[in-house]
Amino acid sequence: MFQFFFKFSRALFARGQIVFLASWPTWILWLLIVAAAAGLAALIWWYLPKPASRARKRQAEVIWALQSLLVAVLLVLLWQPALMVTELRAQQNLVAFLVDDSRSMGIVEDGISREAQAIKVLQGGVSAGVARRFQTRLYRFDSQLTRIADLQQLRPDGSATHIGASLQQLADETTDLPLAAVVLLSDGSDNANGVDADTLAVLRSRHIPVHTVGLGHEQAAHDVEIDAATVAPRALAESRLAAVIRFHQYGYAGRQSRLLVRDGERVLGSRDVTFAADGAPQSETVLFNVGAAGVKALQFALDVQPGEENASNNALTRLVNVDADTRSVLYFEGEPRWEYKFIRRAVEDDHALRLVAMLRTSENKLYRQNVQDPKELAEGFPTRAQDLFAYQGLVIGSVEATYFTPAQRELIREFVDRRGGGLLLLGGRYALADGGWGASSLADVLPTVLPTGKKTFHVDPANVQLTTAGSDSAITRLVDDPAANAERWKKLPYLMDYQDPGVPKPGAVTLANLEASGRNMPLLVTEQYGRGRSAVLATSGTWRWQMSLPLGDPSFSVFWQQLLRWLVTDSHGRVVATVDSPELQDDGHTALSAEVRGEDFQPVADAAVEAHILGPDGLSARVPMTPVAGAPGRFQAEWNANKAGDYLVEVTATQHPDVAPGRADALLGRDVFSFRRVNGEAENFHAQQNRELLTRIATLTGGRYWRPQELAALVDEISYSPAGITTHATRALWDMPAVLLLILTLCVAEWLLRRLWGIV
Amino acid sequence: MMLKPRIAVICLLGLSAAVWAFEANDVNPEDAKHEFAWSRLRYTSVGGSFGGLGFGYGGGRAWSRDYPKADIVFLAALRRLTRVDARSYQQVVDLDSDAIFNFPFVYAVQVQTWSFSDAQAKRLREYLLKGGFLMVDDFHGTADWESFLAGLRAVLPAASYPITDLNDDDEIFHMLYDVGHRIQIPGEQYVQTGRTYEKDGYVPKWRAIRDSKGRIIVAICHNMHLGDAWEWADDSEYPELFASMAFRVGINYVMYSMTH
Repeated sequence: MFQFFFKFSRALFARGQIVFLASWPTWILWLLIVAAAAGLAALIWWYLPKPASRARKRQAEVIWALQSLLVAVLLVLLWQPALMVTELRAQQNLVAFLVDDSRSMGIVEDGISREAQAIKVLQGGVSAGVARRFQTRLYRFDSQLTRIADLQQLRPDGSATHIGASLQQLADETTDLPLAAVVLLSDGSDNANGVDADTLAVLRSRHIPVHTVGLGHEQAAHDVEIDAATVAPRALAESRLAAVIRFHQYGYAGRQSRLLVRDGERVLGSRDVTFAADGAPQSETVLFNVGAAGVKALQFALDVQPGEENASNNALTRLVNVDADTRSVLYFEGEPRWEYKFIRRAVEDDHALRLVAMLRTSENKLYRQNVQDPKELAEGFPTRAQDLFAYQGLVIGSVEATYFTPAQRELIREFVDRRGGGLLLLGGRYALADGGWGASSLADVLPTVLPTGKKTFHVDPANVQLTTAGSDSAITRLVDDPAANAERWKKLPYLMDYQDPGVPKPGAVTLANLEASGRNMPLLVTEQYGRGRSAVLATSGTWRWQMSLPLGDPSFSVFWQQLLRWLVTDSHGRVVATVDSPELQDDGHTALSAEVRGEDFQPVADAAVEAHILGPDGLSARVPMTPVAGAPGRFQAEWNANKAGDYLVEVTATQHPDVAPGRADALLGRDVFSFRRVNGEAENFHAQQNRELLTRIATLTGGRYWRPQELAALVDEISYSPAGITTHATRALWDMPAVLLLILTLCVAEWLLRRLWGIV
Repeated sequence: MMLKPRIAVICLLGLSAAVWAFEANDVNPEDAKHEFAWSRLRYTSVGGSFGGLGFGYGGGRAWSRDYPKADIVFLAALRRLTRVDARSYQQVVDLDSDAIFNFPFVYAVQVQTWSFSDAQAKRLREYLLKGGFLMVDDFHGTADWESFLAGLRAVLPAASYPITDLNDDDEIFHMLYDVGHRIQIPGEQYVQTGRTYEKDGYVPKWRAIRDSKGRIIVAICHNMHLGDAWEWADDSEYPELFASMAFRVGINYVMYSMTH
């Protein structure tokens, strides 16, 4: 429509400059226009009857404006207006067609695949139209760019889409060619997190516009897709883990499905889900027992629905390193209590936990239980960091804060903050507020602000209630099924006692509440503190669950095993090694990191750190890790996993030979983790057209985003590209239909108004 | 002349009322709110019942021998010598309701007379396997042992729960006090007879039944009478040696029950 009235495309006007071709100076034009307007004004004023009414004067002004405008248009036309543009020279420039050849282009929509649609577009005249004026080159691309002779060589089988890398490769290969424009036909389903700014900057500096042609539906009609699966990368053997699965769907709102967790063929856990509205992001938590020790490739999958367009995006795999280690928990109890006995019995069979106890049996005696050797804790509660930090968890029962020296209290704080240990405080007559913990230096570590008064402990029955957060927590999941778990909590016997734990701090999570004497208050509150975590369980009466529930009911044992496992699972050793992504998609480049600490968990900056990597096909490599500047104790290394498969990495840190030459105890620690490289899986996800990315590429390079049906104007758009070999051209504007239309409109308008107002 | 019998009757009734008060646990509710309650098992004796106010022992009142003074004196010692938050008076429990599950330690005497219905035996078995602890005391000689077993085996079958002798180095004898070397603890009859044994129970038997994890769930004090030693600890004629040993053993048993 624009071109019909204005003779040329909008793009031409945008890129061109309006000039006057007449040899007379332009100032004469403006002078004549002013003079004509003034003359007309005088003439009209001369003929205007005197005295004239106010309405008559207004009508005279309108007639004057129309006549002046008409004269101005005619005068402008006399000066021969034209558009000066920079135009590509015919057949001297190159246009590159890049066709996405990845697997997502094979998706069939409305009876035709995206690849076939691209071919149809090119064969429908676009390619031929461009070829009439420019030289063309055809490329296919997935993870890399390949030049092809014709469209027959297109096969939608590429395992990944890297648009940025392909554009960069094109730019590199055409540095000495007059590349005028790039036409990119793709669904925008990029697996390399978009196009980096450097690539776009290169194209922009060469003024090469990238015209993107979007293929595929921007929104699936019938599809379920898992967006993310979040699960702890490490776990203790036989632990119950919580995985948060984020997904969305189109076309199945309100329908039921099943979320499954599989380890190979074995189903570890499941839960029923009801799909939310189309396109709405949805998160569900599924809990499962991770099983025996080893590296587990866990698959999280949603059932394939009838009529799904893409069934390959219903599952995600995550690696979990399951440790066979035993973690030690130090339990300090200020007085003999049933709770201690029953906790000890609950975790006795848990091979992942070693509960070591110090119990004040009398004023002057400490009874130690489950110590590994007679020297362990023989001197009382630890006073040195290396003694306390040997444990991963710490439980404090009914004992006053002042029983510990200020140095010991500071050590407990550092146990959580620096060592990354877990601290659990139980209720009791000398515990929490009644034990003066609220006024101690450890108040900061606790997940609640304790009450200021005393007498907060009550030997009275209290009922427990699971909170919303608790229903999705692995600590409070007594049975796998969420609904059955909620029922189980409702039927738990009352607690023997309770204590007011105060108010949860911001960021703390309340997993269970208690109800006693008509009051509700938190029962189990957890919080992350520093590198560790803390919790308050405001009772010492859960043992009644064990005695009152039917013989063989595991609720009490399961609860305590899970609570203590939570306390210690993330209490790492002195060497903690990680990889920036545990699952590499198509690209094997990754960064290994390690954090090395000494016995007192202070960073060790001068350690010698090495990663030993075992990979597919017998790969064995030793990679030295180098210190990170400005971050003492942190080491890193770059690594390229060339082959798809699972990789096992053992990072070993030793005292630097210069510091400890020949010392047998120079080993600081080691850590083991795994990661994997997979090829082709990413192509199954986010398969809808990514219009946002395609538009961004086009906008940032001076190109334009096109729908396939709009491509008729593409040739004209490319013709005025600033890149390539160009020439300056002028296009006359006097014969634009819009000009004729304007003149006619002005004349007719004046005539009609004169008729209307009776002005002859 | 009639005054002394009247006073005697009044005193008798007063003492009976006090005992009844303890038996009914009719005390200040605030005093009930403690971690530990010394629980005495009220059971049905062979050929009798556990009702009534009676004193002494045998027949229907066998469970209440030395009751309640032994319990109260032992609790005073427990509160004085340890950090256990113990109630100052005893609790009576039976096997006809689930209330016993609120008291994980239970003490029984004269167990040669005990008998259980099927429901009671099942409840006691579940109590012990869930984590409860039973201490039996004050039965003597071969005949008492056989009678004790008759009742016990209805609760814990011999094949699965054998009775074993405790060694001197067993942990239960070293909880708070080291009582690896022990002596026979006689009842109050020692004051009159000078004998430390009753019937043909010449040798004290420190025995136990353990669960599948090796934890003691029934502590058996055969051929001895700790309850009397506690009860008569304030009698100048009863040797301090016996009373002291009885307290130490009893406290160790409580400590063991609260830690294992």
